[in-house]
Amino acid sequence: MEQQMNQINMDGVHRKKKKARAALSFVITAVLLVILFFAAVNTGSLQTGFVKLLKGLFVEYDAHVAAIWDLRFPRILISMLAGAGIAVSGVLFQAVLKNPLADPGIIGISSGAGFAAVLITAFAPGWYFFTPLAAFAGGAAAFFLVYCLSWKGGLSPLRIILTGVAVEALFSGLASAFNSMSGGDRTGAAAIVEANITQKTWEDVSVLFPYIIAGLFLAVLFIGECNLLSLEDKTARSLGVNVNTTRICISLSAVLLASISTAIAGAVSFLGLIVPHIGRILVGSDHKVLVPFSALAGAFTFLLADTIGRTIAAPYEVSAAVIMSVAGGPFFIILLRRSKKYAD
Amino acid sequence: MQTKTAKPAMEVKELFFSYGSNQILKGASLEIERGKITTIMGANGCGKSTLFSLMTKNLTPGRGKILLNGRNIRDMQLSEFARKVSIVHQYNTSSDDITVERLVGFGRTPHRKLFSGYGEEDTRLIEWAMEVTHIDGYREREVSRLSGGQRQRVWIAMALAQNTKILFLDEPTTYLDIRYQIDILKLIQKLNREYNITIVMVLHDINQAIHFSDRIIGLWGGRVIVDGEPGQVISAESIEKLYGIQLEVTEIEGRKFVLTV
Repeated sequence: MEQQMNQINMDGVHRKKKKARAALSFVITAVLLVILFFAAVNTGSLQTGFVKLLKGLFVEYDAHVAAIWDLRFPRILISMLAGAGIAVSGVLFQAVLKNPLADPGIIGISSGAGFAAVLITAFAPGWYFFTPLAAFAGGAAAFFLVYCLSWKGGLSPLRIILTGVAVEALFSGLASAFNSMSGGDRTGAAAIVEANITQKTWEDVSVLFPYIIAGLFLAVLFIGECNLLSLEDKTARSLGVNVNTTRICISLSAVLLASISTAIAGAVSFLGLIVPHIGRILVGSDHKVLVPFSALAGAFTFLLADTIGRTIAAPYEVSAAVIMSVAGGPFFIILLRRSKKYAD
Repeated sequence: MQTKTAKPAMEVKELFFSYGSNQILKGASLEIERGKITTIMGANGCGKSTLFSLMTKNLTPGRGKILLNGRNIRDMQLSEFARKVSIVHQYNTSSDDITVERLVGFGRTPHRKLFSGYGEEDTRLIEWAMEVTHIDGYREREVSRLSGGQRQRVWIAMALAQNTKILFLDEPTTYLDIRYQIDILKLIQKLNREYNITIVMVLHDINQAIHFSDRIIGLWGGRVIVDGEPGQVISAESIEKLYGIQLEVTEIEGRKFVLTV
């Protein structure tokens, strides 16, 4: 009896430690994001002090601050919104596919969306307004392809990745081809292909913002279902969950987040893989904490990548997507090697 | 209780099912008595897994029907069915870091309304399910850190939290050593005797089926060929019909044993 009580206490202490770690992770990430935000605002050829910045923003006009407001704020906000969107999209895909390696970039969702966005931008620039919609359709088409082609009486994690890599190659190839055919090097199409967010404006922010908020809202709505999908399908069904319908709804939310982010910020790989993975280590795999944490950490990571890209070889810029690939590639390999599940 | 005259909890009528051209069930009919332990037995490929899947709404029959309290389960929403029938499947997985208590709480899913947390009733039933299965001592532990026998109790507790009158179990003792097998079977018996839960299970071990069941349903070739109380229907002949092997059946103190060697 005493031994059992001891065990209960130990479990309790263990839980409390985990909860404390999760809370601490949230606070630290939030603080880092705020610091990074101001660092990013102040990084580049135009610089301003913190007080001057706040004064310029809220009190009186300052030419420096106004220029920063118009040039730097949009890309910072886009980095944060797209980062949050892509990371949460990764969480949702991983839940739906029961595959911790699923990433909207790796499995081709982003390039499907990017391809559709390139088509619009290159050949029907007047329809700019419909770019998010087209990107969503492209992302959904890519997901449908991956899902159907990997299905063989079930979804093996490795088969999804392999099919995804092929679909990714197809769509990013097509996007590049159409970009070249449209002739423009400096067109919006090229910006999507190269995931270049240098020229982003407040207009882009206003396009991205509502979709990301809607996507994040949907993700929060499906938190309970994401947790239930961690069970065997049969078991989830025995709890009254309509597994297939739930999968489709969550997948579409994930496609929405990834596609819209791609339409504005370009195709980014590994972000949706790394952030949720670290999130699981720090805050656990309960989606109630994993989804908000991934949004926060995704915003931080993408902004960090963009800021590093801006400074590492200034005045030249390396796009955030390239930074993510360089950092994410090795990370992905380590994951593959470490987890026994995908070894064979 | 007047269960003698009461309608059966479930009725299976003339059930047909095939995978492509492979006919698995060929007109299986049976009844599940209320408040009893019914065990479905049979050789590999006899159709018992298919029957189990059909009765738990994981498959839909080609022909025939399955009635729950007189209603065709085909016409029921999954969530409605889950409020009346709970199921412990043979193979289960969960995320690595979910705790016992949280997992048992999943059992309340079919009863919960959108956007509402656990109410008093939910908490009470989660507590009850953990107490009955004796897992309340490690409620805060991760399920992944439990032994096989403890883990099986957690899955049963999750089904109990659904608070249903009928509980299905698919080979609940597989993967367990003999001590935990008996442990789980005694738990199932307790659920039936003390809480009057109707039990339907699939078991591989013939002797365990005989001793823990009120009724045996034996399938062969997609049809029910044995149906009744174990003391009456188990014989060397019926075992041979079911499994295609001759085994001795003895009786010790009025209880039948099949010598499975």
